[in-house]
Amino acid sequence: MKPLIRRPHRSRRPFAALTAAAFCLAAAWPAAVAVAAESPAADEPVVFTVGLLNEPDSLNPFLGIEAESYEMWGLTYDYMISYKAEDMSPQPGLAESWETSDDGLTWTFHIREGVDWSDGEPLTAEDIAFTYNRILDGGPESASWISYLTSVDTITAPDERTVVLELSEPNAVLPLLPMPILPEHVWSKLSEKDVKSYANEPPNVVGSGPFRMVEGAAGGSTFRFEANPDYWKGAPHVDEVVFRVFQAEDPAIQALKKGEIDFVENISGNQVDALEKEDGITAIMGDSPGFDEIAFNTGSVDLETEQPIGDPNPAVLDPKFRYALGFAIDREAIRDRVYQGAGITGSTIVPPAYPTYHWEPPEDVAFSFDPDRAGQLLDEAGYEMGPDGTRTMPDGSPIGELRLLARADSETSVDVIQFFSEWLADIGIESKVQAVESSKLTNLILEGEFDAFEWGWYVEPDPDSMLSYMTCGQRGNWSDSWYCNEEYDALYLEQHSATDQAARSEAVKRMQEILYLDAPYLVTMYSSIGEAWRSDRFEGFVPQPNPGGIMLVQYGVDNYLNVKPVAGKDTSSSNTNGALIGGAVAGGIALAAVAGALLFRKRDRATADDRE
Amino acid sequence: MNQLGTRYVLGKVAGSLGSLAFMLVVNFFLFRVLPGDPVRTLARNRLVSQQQIDELTRTLGLDQSLPQQFLTYLQNTFTGELGLSFRYRQPVADLILDRLWPTLVLVGTGTLLATMIGLWIGVRSAWNRGSRFDKVSTGSSLTVYAMPEWWLGLMLLAVFSVGVGPLPGIFPTGGLISPGVDPTSLEGVLDQAWHLALPVLTVTLAYLADFSLIMRSSLLDEMGADYLMTARAKGLRDTRVRREHAVPNALLPSVTLVALNLGFVVAGAITIETVFSIPGLGLLTTEALEVPDFPLLQGTFLVFSAAVIAANLVANLLYAVIDPRVRS
Amino acid sequence: MSAGEAVPRLTARQVTRRRRRESARRTWNEFRSHRSGVVGLGILVVFVLVALGAPLLADATGLKVTAATGGVLEAPSAEYWLGTDDNGRSVLTLLIWGARVSLFVGLLATAISMVIGTLVGVASGHFRGWPSSVLFRLTEWFLVIPFLPLAIVMASVLGASLINIVLVIGVTSWPGTALLIRAQTLSIEERPFLERARALGAGHWHQMSRHVLPNVMPMVFANTTLTVAIAILTETTLSFLGLGDPLRVSWGSMLDDAFGAGAITTGAWWFIIPPGICVILVVLSFTLIGRALEEIFNPRLRRGILDETSKPRRRERS
Repeated sequence: MKPLIRRPHRSRRPFAALTAAAFCLAAAWPAAVAVAAESPAADEPVVFTVGLLNEPDSLNPFLGIEAESYEMWGLTYDYMISYKAEDMSPQPGLAESWETSDDGLTWTFHIREGVDWSDGEPLTAEDIAFTYNRILDGGPESASWISYLTSVDTITAPDERTVVLELSEPNAVLPLLPMPILPEHVWSKLSEKDVKSYANEPPNVVGSGPFRMVEGAAGGSTFRFEANPDYWKGAPHVDEVVFRVFQAEDPAIQALKKGEIDFVENISGNQVDALEKEDGITAIMGDSPGFDEIAFNTGSVDLETEQPIGDPNPAVLDPKFRYALGFAIDREAIRDRVYQGAGITGSTIVPPAYPTYHWEPPEDVAFSFDPDRAGQLLDEAGYEMGPDGTRTMPDGSPIGELRLLARADSETSVDVIQFFSEWLADIGIESKVQAVESSKLTNLILEGEFDAFEWGWYVEPDPDSMLSYMTCGQRGNWSDSWYCNEEYDALYLEQHSATDQAARSEAVKRMQEILYLDAPYLVTMYSSIGEAWRSDRFEGFVPQPNPGGIMLVQYGVDNYLNVKPVAGKDTSSSNTNGALIGGAVAGGIALAAVAGALLFRKRDRATADDRE
Repeated sequence: MNQLGTRYVLGKVAGSLGSLAFMLVVNFFLFRVLPGDPVRTLARNRLVSQQQIDELTRTLGLDQSLPQQFLTYLQNTFTGELGLSFRYRQPVADLILDRLWPTLVLVGTGTLLATMIGLWIGVRSAWNRGSRFDKVSTGSSLTVYAMPEWWLGLMLLAVFSVGVGPLPGIFPTGGLISPGVDPTSLEGVLDQAWHLALPVLTVTLAYLADFSLIMRSSLLDEMGADYLMTARAKGLRDTRVRREHAVPNALLPSVTLVALNLGFVVAGAITIETVFSIPGLGLLTTEALEVPDFPLLQGTFLVFSAAVIAANLVANLLYAVIDPRVRS
Repeated sequence: MSAGEAVPRLTARQVTRRRRRESARRTWNEFRSHRSGVVGLGILVVFVLVALGAPLLADATGLKVTAATGGVLEAPSAEYWLGTDDNGRSVLTLLIWGARVSLFVGLLATAISMVIGTLVGVASGHFRGWPSSVLFRLTEWFLVIPFLPLAIVMASVLGASLINIVLVIGVTSWPGTALLIRAQTLSIEERPFLERARALGAGHWHQMSRHVLPNVMPMVFANTTLTVAIAILTETTLSFLGLGDPLRVSWGSMLDDAFGAGAITTGAWWFIIPPGICVILVVLSFTLIGRALEEIFNPRLRRGILDETSKPRRRERS
């Protein structure tokens, strides 16, 4: 009966303390909400806040690799040549104009006058030559950028407004030179060793771009940029650009809905669907220059001895077999079921976003979802249906199970491979689905221990690098299908040094045709990227490619210059109110603690009195 | 007793150093068995030549043999040099220091609140065993204990940040501080309090359940002890018995457990940091795993295990203070 | 001594068996008086039945993304009682089949952890000298490795499959059990019957298998139920961090999908609340049973002060 004895002494006051704290919160709540709704003073800076789902890795352009890092260098620095927003073709940047010698071996660029660094020094041709030479000289600076300077012998600045590149053989990738131009008077002080770990973070950043970085550090979660009012293309329409890094998509979307951020990048199709219904928000699935594919092991070999390594199923080594499987894939179903209806069904490795180079397969060879045709092609190639309902090799032995690998970290990849496996079963081919981490998959690919897998590539505006991945020389390196075809390699070299655009396009298209028929890759989808923004607050975005493209994380940073506040709308974020609520919370806790302590003492005394 | 004490303390310290040495070795080899090649991950999707890959391999020090790398690692660690992160190319020590603060604030505040409230609830429900308070608090503690805490975090996020029904979402969806706010100013401090309110609440609730259950059972144990029976039989006032005898005796072991727990809380904040986008050590670790960024992983792992080892040592010493028997 | 004698003669083995049966019945009777334990058992039985009867309750083709019939994130309706997921599959079907995976992982991982923990614990408690201290040190070392990061590393090394998740959890969660069993063994070693056995020349194997093990078994059993709870939570957390088996549906992977598909933002509560509730119920049931058993087998212990069991992490928060 112990409880009964103690019961009279049990005070309700500790609860009173908690109630007091709850009351504090409750009182702060409407007040805080009221403050949040209050409109700001007219002279508040216009801040454009972008939510990212991945953080930039380094603000030093010689070190970083993430797309987000590129975006930030783009705001901080200028490029000699930039990308046109609509079709990503080269357009004047720091170089107002350029010309090529007839043999394609000398490129002369004429540099704009009157561009200053943020510390007041003028930007000259010497800065440009310095940056390129730093890359050309090897060392850590070359790691990311040297490929753009293949066959470039010397880079000189004969005067303050001219940059000259001398080549040993023509390079069709020029004049695209997407390296940010760095100030010589700052970076020349850094040795090769210093550069390896140079952070290039505020307050020591000297740039010439449309914005100046004032806050942020690699791996951090907030990056703040102030507008450069003297920018040579004209001052930006916003005073500040802020990037906030979110670790997951959902919180980022919530932040957008609440107006904490104005733009969110790289979101899923589901989210776009849901956000489209929201007032004041525009959500799009933008075409992005990349593709996803099902790739086959077309013959893994030891590169020294040319002896086969790994254990590809003999069936997938046969181009006819692979091509036939192209008709077993229902790309529309993949788009609707796996990609939530977003994106364009795929065909070749150069996306239609690059019309100069994209090859569209003609009707008679183009893949469609046609299992009968797939079966017919397999029959013709000798893979006939056996008595047990599965197809056999031309010599009558069983094909066995194909090993289909999906990336465990991508739901899309797993789903596509599962669909593929079932479609294969429909045409009499057995398969086994396995999901492995991307890093593990890379190893399996290099060892040749696979039959097929699902992955994708981003394709740069110049398709040269993408095309190179399918050459014999890239086997064991970037080639993930072990594809090797002499005719293809010859065409690759031809287009790489072509000086005539039409001839180059022709070669590139012919290469795509070869790949299409040999089918080392069955391209499933051209990817798209979800983006959403507060259209009640900001406007002026131009998609890339136009139309149908994405708005931010493009090639180039034009939209940070284009974006402007919607007239008459509040564009400040609700930061200041947070402090108020924070104060209310902290105060509430403190108050509750004090009240609790006081009441405790009092109660003990009271209880003691009761007892005595 | 003093001599025995010294010996005990020295023994425990030596044991901790042994554990630390073990961790140092595990630390190095653990991450080398990860699949994936950091050089390839870092160079992924870029136009790179073999020459560039070689350059990167050299820069990262991966061209050395494994024993050589191990020696370099030991040498560096003993001189307090944790190396350069592969991904961020910054000294690992700097990155960890940057990220340590949010984790410490989150975990520290959360644990502190959880300890105070949890112990209070534990004492109350043990003392009033079988009462309605006991039933409700034990029931809800067990329920929260059974919850994945990140799920709890998600629910809190949905209610207090997104808003449910008429309830407006007044807390931010994530992050540590609003952009452009000076973290050292009063506004900055309050702004951080606002950002951390929900994550801290999540940590508090999750650990509160553990601590109140622990405190409840230690006090119940204590209440069964003879001396307490005697004290009560002698007619000592109930409150006094509780305050001067039972609670202090039951409190110390609970605090010991809290200290032990704290070591794990640091590493355990990973999921809560993910849900609330807090740039802490846990997130740094998951990001480093993607590369895999060996030096960074070694660094964070070292911090995590050092935290556990230190907490263990403190707990062991506290233990000895409470119960001299363990010293012999 | 004739065959017709009223009291049958029992062999030693039969006596032992009878004694065991007797003690099991006593335990059960005692257990029945712990109301919360009975409630826990009730909940568990329901989930076990659901897991076993999954093929009867919901067609397994409902798990296939390729065979999904519903729309994306449809709200609950007469056809889909708990709505659909982001692939158009019925959440209820996923939930039913998810019970299998969660229970399977929980039980098997615990079995591994128990075997390792019991072996190491008994051995380090029974033997004297260096083998004991080596094993004890090893246990302590494993105890200081931060569990969640270690599990993450192991999961990425081994690759994402169900059996690997089981291995990861089993291999990382044994030290707590080992310490508990060691403490128990040490106290049993002091008992007279073991000294008698030693004096009679019983070998280590005989001592351990006939005397030590049967006596620590009840504690192992109580600890097991608590470990299952932790193992299930760990599976959920690993899946949430994207380290689960992507080809199988578990409650953890459902929650990961739900979070990834924006169930919170889009208000798809049916996709994120039910799996959470299921996890809570199952974990709660194991915890309740475990607590009841702990009290029955060792009323003195009740995670008290000198109890080595509460020293290792009681619950690996992650």
